Amino acid sequence: MNARFGLIPAIIFAFAAHASAFDFGSLGNALGNDRINQGIDTARDLGKVAKGIAGIGPEEEKAIGDSVALEIVSRYGGLVRDDAIMRRVNLVGRSLARYSDRPDLSWRFAVLDSNSVNAFSAPAGYVFITRGLYDLATDDDALAGILGHEIAHITRKHALNIIAKSDALTGATNQLVMRSSNARALDSQLQQFDLGIGQITKTLFETGYSPQSEFDADKVGHDLAALTGFAPGGLRGVLVHLQHRSGRVEKAFSTHPPLKARISRLPDEPALLSPALSGNGNTGVGPTAAAQGNTGKVDEDEENFAKGAK
Amino acid sequence: MKIRTALRSWLVASLLVAIGCIDAAFSSGGTAYTKRYKTTLLAEPSPQAKAVGELPLAQKVRIEQVQGKWLKVNGGSAAGWVFLGSLSETKPDEGKGFDGTPMLASETTATAAARPLTPAADEYSQRRNLGSASDDLNWMINQCATITPAQVAHYLKTHRKGEYQ
Repeated sequence: MNARFGLIPAIIFAFAAHASAFDFGSLGNALGNDRINQGIDTARDLGKVAKGIAGIGPEEEKAIGDSVALEIVSRYGGLVRDDAIMRRVNLVGRSLARYSDRPDLSWRFAVLDSNSVNAFSAPAGYVFITRGLYDLATDDDALAGILGHEIAHITRKHALNIIAKSDALTGATNQLVMRSSNARALDSQLQQFDLGIGQITKTLFETGYSPQSEFDADKVGHDLAALTGFAPGGLRGVLVHLQHRSGRVEKAFSTHPPLKARISRLPDEPALLSPALSGNGNTGVGPTAAAQGNTGKVDEDEENFAKGAK
Repeated sequence: MKIRTALRSWLVASLLVAIGCIDAAFSSGGTAYTKRYKTTLLAEPSPQAKAVGELPLAQKVRIEQVQGKWLKVNGGSAAGWVFLGSLSETKPDEGKGFDGTPMLASETTATAAARPLTPAADEYSQRRNLGSASDDLNWMINQCATITPAQVAHYLKTHRKGEYQ
């Protein structure tokens, strides 16, 4: 359900190429945040900075997530500023997130003003779905399937894991000696921060996550939807629908594992709950409002995406 | 009529299979962990039941009884019923930063929900000329903050989701 299907070797290679230039251990300095800098001092003194994902705390994750979210919103046409749509995606999304493995994150959901069919997530709880995909989620079960997959990317820390795998925190202790009081050092650290965000967005928009990460997100998202009480086949229903659409959708999903492979890994279950099992039905806010802005033209984002995915 | 009955049976059976897969890891005699900063334990397997205790984040609990999607657990200092979705099979990351300090529980409140972009992201936005996206993201943060936990709970209740199934 997103544009992040890449190969682990490609990611490792990409990071290896940048390893000398990008050190996320300097992130705290680049943040210009007193609290983090204070923490870094402590960590430096005590030698507590750990290599890998354990070294990225809530503050760091929020700074990374905010910045990645900015790139997503910028690249995919801004947000659909519709109160009813925001309400729907957030009620369904936060219902799922409540039972996820990271229920206390500040979960936020929104619709991107793009005709392309895609969804994205960023660390710290940001989930985005394009208008093109939102229009396909005609019921809350389908929407839950899509959002569940994206929530899983965050709870499983797939984006943060890329940073950890990049060996980015190697030598962090030494790097942390460089303090932001030195303008040159600060500039260097800011460049490293930007490079780090660039590596994540490259994964999101071009190379994609590994197929294993995507299959994992499919499974975790499926289980979360079922646990919360949505139809367990919601995601599969959307994927089957996409499989039957022609040309350009397939193009847009060119960095994903084939839809067929994803569908085959999901159990054949109902995509909708019967009224008796779904309480009062859906939120009552269908995709109609968003669909009114859909011109049917091939989106420039999608064209760019397809080019970038080569 | 027979087709409708068969379809309904298939729907229910599929749901039960799905639930069974999820529940497989949680069985009586097993262990699990709390995954919220505060997990309330209830006297009965019902969201309307009286609260009988509270457990902190990452507390290991012993599962004493399973009833559908509800588990009776014992966390040492407290025992009671919780919805399956309140527990994790694995010990949650306590979210420690560079300084080794866990995220504060207060950061999980409504105040945190309305927290604007970090200064680092603001600076990033300026360096990358992402002013429009920054406006959108701040709008998103404000919009999301208007949807309260009580409204989410109301949605769950009226749509028979989560612990209200």
